[in-house]
Amino acid sequence: MFRFIHSSDLHIGKRFGNLPEELRGRLRDARHTVLDRLAAQARMAGAGTILLAGDCFDTETPSPAMLRQALAAMAGHAGLRWVMLPGNHDSLLAEELWAAARAALPGNVMLATEPEPILLAPGVTLLPAPCTTRRPGRDLTEWMDRAATPEGALRIGLAHGAIQSFSEDGSGLDIIAPDRASRAGLDYLALGDWHGQMAVNARSWYSGTPEPDRFKHGEPGRALLVGLAGPGAVPEVTPVETGSFAWRSLSLDLLSGDDAATALAAELPGGSGRRQTLLRVIASGRLRPAARMALEAAIAGVAPEFAELQLDTEGLAADCEDTDLDAIDRAGALRQAAELLLAESHDEGRPEAEREIAGEALVRLFSYCDAMQP
Amino acid sequence: MKLSALRLHNVRRFAGTGIAVEGIGDGVNVLSAVNEVGKSTCFDALHALFFQPHTGTPGPVQTLRPYSGGNPLVEADIKTSDGAFRLTKQFYGGKRAMVRELSSGRLIAQADEAEKFIGALVQGGTTGPAGLLWVRQGITGIERRAKSEEENEKRARESVLVSVQGEVESLTGGRRMAQAVAACEEELSRLVTATRRPKAGGPYALALEERDRLAEAERKLAAEVAELRTALDRRRSIRNRLNELEDREEERARQGALAQAEKDLAAAKAQGETLKTAEAEAALARSQRDAAGQALTTYRRSLARLAELQALESEATGRRDEALARQRAAAEAGRAAAAAVELAESEERQARDLLSRLEKALRARDAAERLTGLREAHAGAEAERTAIESFEAEIRALALPAAGLRQLEALETELVGLRAIVAARMPLLRVDYRDGASAAISIAGMALGDGEEKALTGSTTLDIAEIGRITLTLPQGQDGQAELAQAEARRQKGLKLLGIASLAEGRQRETRLRELETALRLGQQRLALLAPHGLADLQESIARLEAQRGEIIEIKADPEATRLALDAAEARVTTSRNAVREAQPQREAADTAILAAERALATIASERAGLTTVMGAEDGREAHAAALEATFARAEGELASVSERVESLRASAIDLAGTEAKLRRMRSIVDSTANEIAKLREDAAEINGQIRARADAAVEEAWQETSEKLAAAEKRLAGLAHEVALLSRLRDALEAARTTARDHYFRPVMAELKPLLGLLFEDASVTFDEDTLLPRTVRRNGLEEPVGVLSGGMREQLAVLTRLAFARLLAKDGQPAPVILDDALVYSDDDRIERMFDALHRQASDQQIIVFSCRQRAFSQLGGNILRMKPWSPEG
Repeated sequence: MFRFIHSSDLHIGKRFGNLPEELRGRLRDARHTVLDRLAAQARMAGAGTILLAGDCFDTETPSPAMLRQALAAMAGHAGLRWVMLPGNHDSLLAEELWAAARAALPGNVMLATEPEPILLAPGVTLLPAPCTTRRPGRDLTEWMDRAATPEGALRIGLAHGAIQSFSEDGSGLDIIAPDRASRAGLDYLALGDWHGQMAVNARSWYSGTPEPDRFKHGEPGRALLVGLAGPGAVPEVTPVETGSFAWRSLSLDLLSGDDAATALAAELPGGSGRRQTLLRVIASGRLRPAARMALEAAIAGVAPEFAELQLDTEGLAADCEDTDLDAIDRAGALRQAAELLLAESHDEGRPEAEREIAGEALVRLFSYCDAMQP
Repeated sequence: MKLSALRLHNVRRFAGTGIAVEGIGDGVNVLSAVNEVGKSTCFDALHALFFQPHTGTPGPVQTLRPYSGGNPLVEADIKTSDGAFRLTKQFYGGKRAMVRELSSGRLIAQADEAEKFIGALVQGGTTGPAGLLWVRQGITGIERRAKSEEENEKRARESVLVSVQGEVESLTGGRRMAQAVAACEEELSRLVTATRRPKAGGPYALALEERDRLAEAERKLAAEVAELRTALDRRRSIRNRLNELEDREEERARQGALAQAEKDLAAAKAQGETLKTAEAEAALARSQRDAAGQALTTYRRSLARLAELQALESEATGRRDEALARQRAAAEAGRAAAAAVELAESEERQARDLLSRLEKALRARDAAERLTGLREAHAGAEAERTAIESFEAEIRALALPAAGLRQLEALETELVGLRAIVAARMPLLRVDYRDGASAAISIAGMALGDGEEKALTGSTTLDIAEIGRITLTLPQGQDGQAELAQAEARRQKGLKLLGIASLAEGRQRETRLRELETALRLGQQRLALLAPHGLADLQESIARLEAQRGEIIEIKADPEATRLALDAAEARVTTSRNAVREAQPQREAADTAILAAERALATIASERAGLTTVMGAEDGREAHAAALEATFARAEGELASVSERVESLRASAIDLAGTEAKLRRMRSIVDSTANEIAKLREDAAEINGQIRARADAAVEEAWQETSEKLAAAEKRLAGLAHEVALLSRLRDALEAARTTARDHYFRPVMAELKPLLGLLFEDASVTFDEDTLLPRTVRRNGLEEPVGVLSGGMREQLAVLTRLAFARLLAKDGQPAPVILDDALVYSDDDRIERMFDALHRQASDQQIIVFSCRQRAFSQLGGNILRMKPWSPEG
């Protein structure tokens, strides 16, 4: 049984400029330490090889320190062998990167920078398809069909890119044939690029990123432990947890009259993991002004416990009833202003943006009046 | 709506008990009591009944609850245009709201329905002011609003305009409005300035700055990344190019090509030399051939020329001889012509001489003839002159005055007339004798015949025979005799004057005179004919001719023939001269021809002599020509062979220029390759440096980070812009509503307020601003002062008056509402209070006013319906 860890998309060096300053350092650090967590998983499972299927680095020019530290971390796990494949973010165009890596390459790290068979172990051949450019415009795995390997050897493909029309970067070109594994007689095709974990077929897997970097996939950071019993045998594929931070999205679909704050409290994850959780609450539906205020207050109240807590209210509409207007004023000019805003927010003849502004202005007026002495 | 009763139970200090205020009537109602008996409780309970939903327990409701707890109950009886109703509300436990019809006790509405009923009473629609108009001790809308600045004297003293506006606003929900506007303004002012520009130092401006800063940084980094990528691409292409250039095979090929080109050039040059030599030989052969050809041609031409010259010479000689002959003939002709001229000229002279003599003789004869004529004429003229003179003398003698004869003729005619008159007027005497009697009567002896008539004049005496005499005397005058006599006398005088005896004689003289005049005229004409210029002239002419008269010569020749002979001689002279003139050119022509012929002969002779010298003896000439021909043929053959050689060399020539160009090209390829390699290595070194620097700085990471930061900043900015839009919209909505409400109420309220204000300023005359209807100046004790700032008492009064004005306005609109005052006049002095009382009473004629006051003594003056509190507990 040949065992190895399949991972990809580490994006070492990613800086998270869109997040608060104090969180950025932690997130960057987590991308580094994921190497240690991968190594730990490998050792735990008795795997000697870790295949990194592209995008180890976020850019073509990581700082020298970033590169050297990553190499040093790999070197630190002397019993393990690491194979790095250039992905679209760190393609072969990144000559400096790969030249620098080659110059400081530890003994237990291999660079799969040529589409040539690599002997991983007796009877185990790796067929890598390094990305030549950011967008190669062709299926780089095609050569695997013709790659000759010794009779009875395991054939393991290593590639980075989209299958069919989904891709992490959203471009639909450079599509890897979905049936490459069977066409090229591969026992396993280790794919990178898609940050979520996914099986294309029994022999072709996206490992997903071991340390998530966005809300998109909503799953924990994982890698794959793969065991190959022999040529032609169906691979044993087991997901293993490697993530440090959890990126979660929480949808609150609200109805007018719902107590949004309570609904939120029920959905929030437990206290212990909050520090390592980036949470995005997506509120949608309709809400009365008072409930809306309560929701915002609840979010503001619990936010400090999380690494990051965002409230997205784009899909949330204000829902005002007479009693809400009464809370503003029962009569007079103030009431008139409130009714004007309410009518405007419902006026189909107005642009969406204006209606939204009017609705929110009404909620704001509500909050003013709520804060006034009765 | 009007209140008629108020009851409350379990409210504040009335825990477990209750009170009722019954019999609230129209006009002014006063509940006057010392403090702490529950006036304000009544006020608050009433307020809660109308304004607090029975389901809630907000602050105002909480304050109604007794300390011991319990469920406050408030009840009021009201009258509206629809009838009388009882409103009941209970808060906290058993909370309920009810409306019953008072007359029947029928339940009209409960719970929310009842709230709606009450709401309709006090609201008058959502935009109307509260139906009940409340003024509380020392509390007006403005004071509440400006609470924090109450100490500030400046702020506290507000103008009437602001005060009234404040009052109107507080009645139209203005206090909360003001707070909302203030809150909105505050939030907005943190972000933007008054003109809604980002406020410097505010979050919005900072976010903008941050965004701009990041955008700039992002642009810069993007450019750096692009540079890096370009540099990488460039380095890749340099490397590829270097690999190509430094390829050994290529280099060998380039050097080989260069060597081959050099060899080719050398070969081309050698071949060029050979060709040049051959071409020189060919040129020599051609010039030799040309020289031989030239000699041959010349010799042949000379031969031909010699033959030609012989013919020419004989021809020229002939021409000369003929010209000589012509010259001789011409000379002869010239001489003959000259002789002819001479002859003709002499003949002409003779003819001319003869003719002149002939003419002279003729002239002399003519003159003699004319003299004879003139002398005859002179004699005739003399005779005529004598005759004329005699006629003239006779005429002078016979001449009569021109008018005399005609006057005589007129007198004659007059006489005939007068005579006729006399005859007519004269009495006639006629005697007709009886038979037998005759000549019995006579006059002056003359018997009168029978039937004879006799004119009688003057006195006539008739002698009648045998009878006697009869004298007849006729009166004198009137018978025309006198006039007749006068006329006769005039005639005589006229005749005498003319010297004639009678008119007939006169006429004869006249006839004669005319005949003489005619003869005179004829004589004169004849004289004029004979001597047109007078006799003197005639005599002169005669004298002249006599002087001229010469000798008369007789020449026997016919003048006409002589003239013809002269003409013929002249013609001959002309003809002969012309002949001489014609002969001259012929001579000259002949001279010229001789000259030309001589010259031609000379030329031919000299040429012939020259040619003969050159060509030598006549017998050797043929042989010489043959020798020349042989020489030319030889040269021709020589040239053909050399030319052939040149042609063959040319055909196989190598393109020297092309070969040189190729060599140059090969050299430049080799050189430029070397240069390019050097340059590329340099470039590569430089680009390596650039790339390393950028890569080490992790420029892409920095770029990505900045891009993400920029996106975040954009988002934040968008959020703030949204916030600004939201707040702006809210503020606009609030302002618009406030302005509408103000416009809706302010002016009408001011109109209502104006007479009430007049009451307040009774001791002074007030002028109002026509536009704002506000008091502008107050004239007191002869002093005029502007109404600008107001004291606390004045503001309090204004608050009350404004509400009264408002209530009036509502009443006019068909929504009468009670005005409820709870110790509303604490700052006012008694004098003012009395005036206010007047105002209240004046107002209360069609208005319900309920006054709660602790100032019992002052308010005892108010009059009106005095209210009392009585214990009360709800039924059941």
